[in-house]
Amino acid sequence: MNSGLRKAHKYSWLLLFIIIPLIMFFSMKHIALFESTKKADIEHSFSRVNPDRDFENDLIKVAFYPKNIEIILKTTLKNASSTVYTVDENNKKRKIIGQLTTAGIYFFDLNDIPKNIIIYDDIKEVLITKTNF
Amino acid sequence: MGLDYQLVLWNKHKKTYDKIVAISMLLYIVLFAVITVVFNSETSIETLVIRAFGSLAIVMLHIILAIGPLSRLNSKFLPILYNRRHLGVSMFIAALIHGGFSIFQFHALGDVNPFYSLFTSNMDYNSLTNFPFQVLGFFALLILFTMASTSHDFFLKNLSAIIWKRLHMLVYLAYTLIIAHVFLGAFQQETSPFTIGFLFIGFVVISSLHIVTAFKEGKIDRVKAEKDTEGWLKVCEINEIEEERAKIFTVNNERIAVFKYKGKLSAVHNVCKHQGGPLGEGKIIDGCITCPWHGYQYLPHNGQSPPPFTEKVATYQLKLMESIVYINPNALEEGTEVEPVII
Repeated sequence: MNSGLRKAHKYSWLLLFIIIPLIMFFSMKHIALFESTKKADIEHSFSRVNPDRDFENDLIKVAFYPKNIEIILKTTLKNASSTVYTVDENNKKRKIIGQLTTAGIYFFDLNDIPKNIIIYDDIKEVLITKTNF
Repeated sequence: MGLDYQLVLWNKHKKTYDKIVAISMLLYIVLFAVITVVFNSETSIETLVIRAFGSLAIVMLHIILAIGPLSRLNSKFLPILYNRRHLGVSMFIAALIHGGFSIFQFHALGDVNPFYSLFTSNMDYNSLTNFPFQVLGFFALLILFTMASTSHDFFLKNLSAIIWKRLHMLVYLAYTLIIAHVFLGAFQQETSPFTIGFLFIGFVVISSLHIVTAFKEGKIDRVKAEKDTEGWLKVCEINEIEEERAKIFTVNNERIAVFKYKGKLSAVHNVCKHQGGPLGEGKIIDGCITCPWHGYQYLPHNGQSPPPFTEKVATYQLKLMESIVYINPNALEEGTEVEPVII
């Protein structure tokens, strides 16, 4: 290599030494690194008190308010797709209200609060979990 | 050295090396599949293929990026550098299988063009957790394709070593895109400290190797030489140069290799015409300076490749006074004959 190429390599790596850790930091910022390994230990509480109804199982906590639903996903799901649907009395899918990705708290505004919701994997076509009222 | 552009320049060592690479890749895939089946039996075969080949490509990319600085720091790694191109093409094949299966699995099963789907199915560029990471992987794959398809000596010869080398420096951009692809994609779903730690440590190791090497090389470039009364520069004591080897000397940021062989001294420009390899780190084989990177050869007294090859490097005049070697810093035309200094 000549001097110019050596310098080009050097400055490229000095630049990458700054850029790549930034990418890593910002992409990990919202990820709870160890959350998926200790799902049973995590205590979650709703952001507001006195929901109209609430539900909890191993995967989710759900609070129904007059105009929205709060879903706390306790652990990141292994499913590539996890879509939240409202369901009718016969547990038939009615309307998509959103998508869950990583563990965390999700709010969905709705005009018409359903009796139950389900979380469904549309790729594998399997039910992941549901509320039971 | 290639006069005719054969598809691949095979030799015994290259074949052995390629077998090792192929067997290692196969072992990795089998091991990955076994571990996945044992610990995550719900994984579908398509997902297994995508993950196995994606992770294999990343591991190989780290090895490829480490070879350059390692061989600058320790000449024992030079044989791997000699074979790096085949490893690069193999890595591209692994990445292509990963990308191809991903596009098929996630974008080809609908009723729109899979590439249109790739760019339009997720436009959430403002989100970090739901970023369209597949687009980053696609651009990285395009860069790797460009590099793999121009890796042959035909392109090296026709693009010139400098342009070819700059083109292949795009691997750093591909590496950045791949890191972003993985961190904004797979790691948003699979937050395993092990895999995240692997990529982070991998980055620290690779970048440290490159930066340490860059500063070491920069130090060599900044060395100032003593001048004699005629403007010739003092290189070293004659006994500092090993037989059949060279002393590398820097003049105005350009490196010169001063070779000692069969009781003679000759000096040539240190940069090989093939891929810019350091001639002074090679040795004299069959009377020719032999580049340590890919074996290109030059005659020490005129800097010309032996016929029928046509590569030429600049030569320099030397003189020997009381066991001290001096060099005229003005380069002669490439391929100019210079009478070797007799020791």
